[in-house]
Amino acid sequence: MSNSTSAHFPNLSRRDWLRLTACGTLGISQSGWLAALADETAKSPDRKRSCILLWMTGGPSQTDTFDLKPGHANGGEVKPIDTSVPGIQISEHLPLLAQQMKHCAIVRSMSTKEGDHARATYLMRTGYLPQGPVQFPTIGSVWSKELGKAESELPNFVSVAPFRFLSPGAFGPGFLGPRHAPLVVGDGQPGGNTDYEKSLQVKNLAVGKDVAASETDARLDLLSGLETDFLKRNPGVTASSHRAAYLAAVRMMRSEAVKAFELTDETDALRDAYGRNQFGQGCLLARRLVERGVPFVEVSLNGVPGGAGGLGWDTHQGNFEGVKSLCGVLDPAWSTLLKDLKERGLLDSTLVIWMGEFGRTPNINAMKGRDHFPNAWSTVLCGGGIRGGQVVGKTSDDGMKVDDRPVATSDLLATACLALGIDPMKQNMSNVGRPVRVADPEASPIHNVLA
Amino acid sequence: MRILSLGRLTLCLFAVGAGLSTAGVFAEERDANDPVAALAKLIDQRIDERIAAEKGVAARPADDGEFLRRVYLDIAGKTPTVADLRDFLADESPDKRHKVVEELLDGPSYITNFAHFWRSVMIPEADSNPEVRFLLPAFEAWLRQRIKDNVPYDKLVREILEMTVDPRQAANPFQPQSGVNALSFYQAKQLKPENLAASTARMFLGIRIECAQCHDHPFDEWKQEQFWGYAAFFAGLNREQGGVQGLVNSILETLGPTQLEIPGKNKKVTPTYFDGTAAQLGFRDSPRRILADWMVGQENPYFTRTLANRLWGHFFGLGIVHPIDDFTLENPPSHPELLDDLAKGFAAQGHDVKFLIRAITSTRVYQRSSRQTDPTQENGRLFAKMALKGLTPEQIFDSIAQATGFFEQFANRNPMMMDGNSPRAEFLQTFENSRDSVTETQTTILQALSMMNGKFVEDATSLDNSATLSAVIEFPLMTNADRIETLYLAALGRPPSADELRRMEDYVKTGGPTGDWKRALGDIFWALLNSSEFLFNR
Repeated sequence: MSNSTSAHFPNLSRRDWLRLTACGTLGISQSGWLAALADETAKSPDRKRSCILLWMTGGPSQTDTFDLKPGHANGGEVKPIDTSVPGIQISEHLPLLAQQMKHCAIVRSMSTKEGDHARATYLMRTGYLPQGPVQFPTIGSVWSKELGKAESELPNFVSVAPFRFLSPGAFGPGFLGPRHAPLVVGDGQPGGNTDYEKSLQVKNLAVGKDVAASETDARLDLLSGLETDFLKRNPGVTASSHRAAYLAAVRMMRSEAVKAFELTDETDALRDAYGRNQFGQGCLLARRLVERGVPFVEVSLNGVPGGAGGLGWDTHQGNFEGVKSLCGVLDPAWSTLLKDLKERGLLDSTLVIWMGEFGRTPNINAMKGRDHFPNAWSTVLCGGGIRGGQVVGKTSDDGMKVDDRPVATSDLLATACLALGIDPMKQNMSNVGRPVRVADPEASPIHNVLA
Repeated sequence: MRILSLGRLTLCLFAVGAGLSTAGVFAEERDANDPVAALAKLIDQRIDERIAAEKGVAARPADDGEFLRRVYLDIAGKTPTVADLRDFLADESPDKRHKVVEELLDGPSYITNFAHFWRSVMIPEADSNPEVRFLLPAFEAWLRQRIKDNVPYDKLVREILEMTVDPRQAANPFQPQSGVNALSFYQAKQLKPENLAASTARMFLGIRIECAQCHDHPFDEWKQEQFWGYAAFFAGLNREQGGVQGLVNSILETLGPTQLEIPGKNKKVTPTYFDGTAAQLGFRDSPRRILADWMVGQENPYFTRTLANRLWGHFFGLGIVHPIDDFTLENPPSHPELLDDLAKGFAAQGHDVKFLIRAITSTRVYQRSSRQTDPTQENGRLFAKMALKGLTPEQIFDSIAQATGFFEQFANRNPMMMDGNSPRAEFLQTFENSRDSVTETQTTILQALSMMNGKFVEDATSLDNSATLSAVIEFPLMTNADRIETLYLAALGRPPSADELRRMEDYVKTGGPTGDWKRALGDIFWALLNSSEFLFNR
């Protein structure tokens, strides 16, 4: 009988399995080298870039963050401040980020047409509009598939606190399948989560407290016997993916790299700088994961602890207080992330993207709120592969339309692909048997923001 | 409903193994007048001819345990209990497989399982759109009524296509009895002609025409104009502009010849069948009724074949045309004559879905083992062995619950419930996989962690919390071999092989690392629940 399996799943022998279960083999051989390795990967020219996506659930107001309109009624009460880059001004609520502006390229001319949370979220996070039965994967799945290694100790895609409810399809691996699904940590409920120390841990990573380590090994050994017999009877991808997932799970349970989730290893000063909240600590986690070779991490900002309780940046009412308190979480986390990456030599190899599903109306409604607005809004690209300290595009004085260089979703995502070193024209086979490209082939990347 | 005359079937015992492990029982000499037997025979013939032509070797017949678990999962959507299994294995009547199919088709789980099946086909949007999820209770209730009455498939489709779209019939989430009709289907498609066209073509005709919505279909003969010509059958439906999205409080329907403009083409089309013939519409005709006449009519080559292929795919994991909804020139059927036979037999029996289920499940092909005995069986399209079908998240949870004696309040099954903390909700979220191809389901790391270390499985395998485990341990007259066998039956629906039994008995005897035979049984149960075999319908 042939030992055929797909190219993705090397046939895992009983011995491979046992090697993992044999007490501590992995643990011992790996202790100590991680720090050295992290240092090496950061410097290696072969290293592909990693990506950290800061996802702003609900759609943040561009007028109160990156595209201020002082002197116009639409501008509202938020004041602009100078940044470390002469000529670029941003919101007074982002003073720390203003000091990092040399790493950032602000895109002020997003123009996307979708004003519904579900559809816009799907579009921004997959690069495509929903099309019948095609299950488009989220960019984290697509990009990490290109950037990651099959046998890494940690999953190639980690998602921190996703709020999936409005558009679940926009957060999953779609037609790429569960092998490219994110490892999800954190609590995605809006309103912020105070128990972040616990929720940022990987669920079910530790065996039950009643189960001794020797018992786990014995159980895995029993399981290994069952699996070997079963695979012999039923060779093929489906069954071996099960085994591969268990191997990856055990590998992670017993790896040194999983210490990425132990945020208490960091100094109090640094943890304070990121902000003692789920988003801030999520950004710190993102750095620790990227440092250990994880190619795609996303961190969602869905709300503020003790905040109004609405959905993140969906500030239909009380926009100005909402934006201010959200920026209070965003500003220290994001700016510390950039500084921290820079100090560790990781910023050149890490692309940081800031975006939500759309912007908000420049005009202010009767409830002092701003509504959904896809016509002219802002996103920000920073770090690896990006020529920072510049602004792309321009909106009109009232902010109602794009005056220069409209940027479609596909343009932005294709630009990010190029910054990461991914071929946007590469194809994946979809669930309907039609090939789908990494980015929409009609995209026109923003070449002048690329380093 | 048509009643099958069991008495006329002459069944012969193929082979009976020793003890619990009996081999398959098939209707070998069948009454040619029995349409179920006739079609089953034809299926076996067509499949076996091809296997022979390709110099393939068919797998062995499935044993009773394998068959029972399979047929329970396929028809009732859940695994059999240990008691069901023991009764079935002990039953010596030659037509017991036949009987169990009849019992399942008459039972309530067939109704709920197939209501869920059709709902997933008809309103797949609910898996990704929470707004649409509000429509499900009423729609599934409607489906359950229809399935309970075994309404013929053509009537069911007619009912959907022809229904008067009256906003007063709409489901109200706060009134459970309201809206038990097919209106949810129209609501889920937002009453848009292009959405209704794309989904009815896919569901009922196996045609994925939606690509032609924006341009001529790149891989097939479909032209943009054909798409919009078909969509024009639904053009009479109009929601007043400015209405609240998702609500249908203001629908207008125009009767008579309708027109629809192809967006951006400045060109209007009238209702036109896929073959290019324009529909003849009187001024009082509902275009949807005229479409229904054509849809279920005998001249339409797609309708019955699509249904036959869909059901085949449900029972075999792979369609004769695969993917299931993709009848194109580029994607030919693996067994074209067989597909025609199935379609003809189905139409001749009054579009009776249960007829096809009876015929399929009584074939040798369906009753083959999934265990591979020859490399030629790797080609799934030959149907020389049963495919491994991944369980759906619901089936996994319900099967663990069944296997371990877990009891959960029924209220949590309400699709409206957003309680993300119930064990079932948490579990379903972790196991939410692509449902498109059951033969290619894959396990994620979080799923593995949840099965290995999660509270649900931990409780299921702990001496204090697992009903099954404690029953096995405390029942006084059991030997270790009996105990191990019961755990195998509960988890895998089969007794252990001699080799497995020996290994497991040794493990219990030594007591595992803790030296405690009770804990050792818990370890075995853990391993069984974590095995690939448990997560597959095989």
